[in-house]
Amino acid sequence: MRFNSQRKIRRFRPIIYLGLLPLFSILVLFAYYPAINGLSKSFYEWKFFEASPFIGFNNYRNMLADDVWWEAFGHISLVLLAGVTIMWLLPLLAVEMLISLKNQRIQFVLRTALLFPLAFPIIVTIYLWGFIYNPNQGVLNVALNQLGLASLAQNWLGDPKTALWALIFINFPWIAGLPFFVFLTGLQNIGTEIFEAAALDGASRLKRFFLIDLPLLKKQFRLLFILAVINILQFGITAQALTEGGPDNATMFPIIRILNVAFRGGDWGYAAALSTTLFVITFLISTFIFLVSRGEKNNDKSL
Amino acid sequence: MTSLSKTARPRRNNRIRVQQSTLVAILSFLAFIGLFPYLFMVLTSLKNNQQIVDSYWGLPIPAHFENYVAAWDQTKNYFITTFIVVSATVIAVLLLGLLSGFLFARFSFLGRNFLFTVVGLLLMVPSIAALIPLFVLSKDLNMLNTIWVLIIPSIAANLILAVILFRNFIDSIQQELFDAAQVFGATNTQIFRYIVTPLSFPIIGTVSLLTMINVYNDFFWPLLTVTDDNLRTVAIGIQFFQGQNATDYGGLMAGYTLASVPLLLLFAFLSKYFLAGISGGLATPDK
Repeated sequence: MRFNSQRKIRRFRPIIYLGLLPLFSILVLFAYYPAINGLSKSFYEWKFFEASPFIGFNNYRNMLADDVWWEAFGHISLVLLAGVTIMWLLPLLAVEMLISLKNQRIQFVLRTALLFPLAFPIIVTIYLWGFIYNPNQGVLNVALNQLGLASLAQNWLGDPKTALWALIFINFPWIAGLPFFVFLTGLQNIGTEIFEAAALDGASRLKRFFLIDLPLLKKQFRLLFILAVINILQFGITAQALTEGGPDNATMFPIIRILNVAFRGGDWGYAAALSTTLFVITFLISTFIFLVSRGEKNNDKSL
Repeated sequence: MTSLSKTARPRRNNRIRVQQSTLVAILSFLAFIGLFPYLFMVLTSLKNNQQIVDSYWGLPIPAHFENYVAAWDQTKNYFITTFIVVSATVIAVLLLGLLSGFLFARFSFLGRNFLFTVVGLLLMVPSIAALIPLFVLSKDLNMLNTIWVLIIPSIAANLILAVILFRNFIDSIQQELFDAAQVFGATNTQIFRYIVTPLSFPIIGTVSLLTMINVYNDFFWPLLTVTDDNLRTVAIGIQFFQGQNATDYGGLMAGYTLASVPLLLLFAFLSKYFLAGISGGLATPDK
C-alpha cells in the first residue's frame, strides 16, 4: 500500500536523496566547508599562493595579547548592555501606553506609525543618523546652536569620548524594532480577563505594570536576550559604515578588527582564529541562556 | 465614593478622556521622533545647498526635483544589480526550500532526522564567523567581482531558515489530503505541484519577504567581494555614492530616498507576511 508507506516505513529511496542533493551541495560547499575550514586554518599561518605552515595555537596566543581585540569586546559588551536595558525601556513603556488606549482605530494608526521606520533599509537609517551627527550641517548641532546651546555642540562621531554613545543612540527612541513587537504580542496574548480582574480589585495601572505585566513577560525577556546576543554582531555594520572603528579605536568592534586583520594586514590565519573565537563565545552564551531557560520552563510545569 | 452621583459620572468620563488624550499625545510624539529622520530626508532631498542654509527646517520651495534625476543617474546600476541578485536568490530559495521542505515533511527515509539536524545546526553559526573562509573560498573559485559571488552565498545563507519554515508548514498540512490524492492516483510530482505548492502560499510569502529584506540589507559580504561599480548592490552603492557627493546634502538625501523605495513598496504589499514571519521565526528556536 503506497499511502501507508509514505510516513511509517523507513527505507532507502534514491529519488529522495536526489531531490535533496541540490540543497546539500550548496550547504556543504558554502556553509559547512567554510565554517570547518575557518576552524582548521586558525591553526595555520594562512597565506595565498604560498605554503601555509602549521603553527599550532600561536594565533590564539597572539589573540590573548591583542589589546585592540579585547577593547572591541569591551565595546560590544557595552552595546549589549545598553541593548537589553535602555533599548527595552522605551519600547516597553510605549507598548503599555498603546494597550491602554480604548480606541482601536487610533491604536492601529499609532502602532503603524511607531513601527514604520522598520520599513527603511538599514544602511539608509545609518547614513541619516550619520548626517544628524554631522559637526557642521548636522541636525543635532544646528538645533543646539539655534537653541542657544552652542557650547553643547560636538563632533559627535569624531570625538572618542562621544563616538560610541552616538552609535548606540542611533534609532532613538528604539521603538521600531523586535522588542516592541514581542512585548506587544506578549501582552496582547495575556488576555483581558486578568487585566479586568486586576482593575476590579482596584489595582492601579502602575501596580498592574509591576505585579502583572512584568512577571508575565518573563518568557519574552528571555527570548529577546538570546536574540540580542545573536544580533549584536550586526551592530558592526553601523560602526563600519560611519566610523570604521575610529576615532582612535573608540568604536572598534570584533568584526571590524577581523576584517582589518585579514584585508589590511593580510593575516588570514589570525583572522580565522578571531572568527572562531567569536563564534565559540556567541555559541556558549546562547547555549547557556537556552539551558537556563529550559530549566526554568520545567520548573513552571512542575508548579 | 459609594454610588455614582449625576455629577460624578461626567467628571470620571472627563478624567478618562484627558488621560486618553495624554497617552495619544505622548505616543504621537514618540512616533514623530522615530519618523523625524525620514521626514527630514524627504524634505531635504528637494532642496539645494542654499536652501538648506536659509531654511534648514522649512519646506523645499521651490522644490528641486533635479536632485532625484542626478541621484538616479548615479545609482541606477545599483538598483539593476540588486534586482537581479534579489530575484535570483528568492527564486532559488523558494524552489529548493519548498522541494526539500516537502521531502523532509512527508517522506520517511534513512537519515531523515540526521539530515534535517545538519541543516538546522547551521542556524547556530553566525554569518560573520564564516565570512573570512567564505571569502577565501570565493577567491579560490574565481568568483570575486562576478554576479555569482553575490547570488550563490546568499542562497546558501537564506536557504537554512527557509527549509525549516517550509518543513514545519508542510508537516502541519492534514495527512487526509495526501491520502485522498493518492487514492485518486496522483503521483508525488502532482501532489507537490497541485497540493503542496498552492497550500504553502502564506509561508511562501513570508520566506520571500524575509529573504528579500535580508539580501537587500546585506552589507559586509558585497562590500568585501565586489569592487566593480556595476556590480555594487544598493546597500554598498549608497556608501560609494555618499563618498562622491559628500557635501551635496540635497543630492545625498535624494539618493537615500530612492534607496528606500524598493523596501517601502515590499512592506506596503507584503507587511502581513512580515508579521507572520516574525512570529514564525521566533517560534522556531523556541521549540
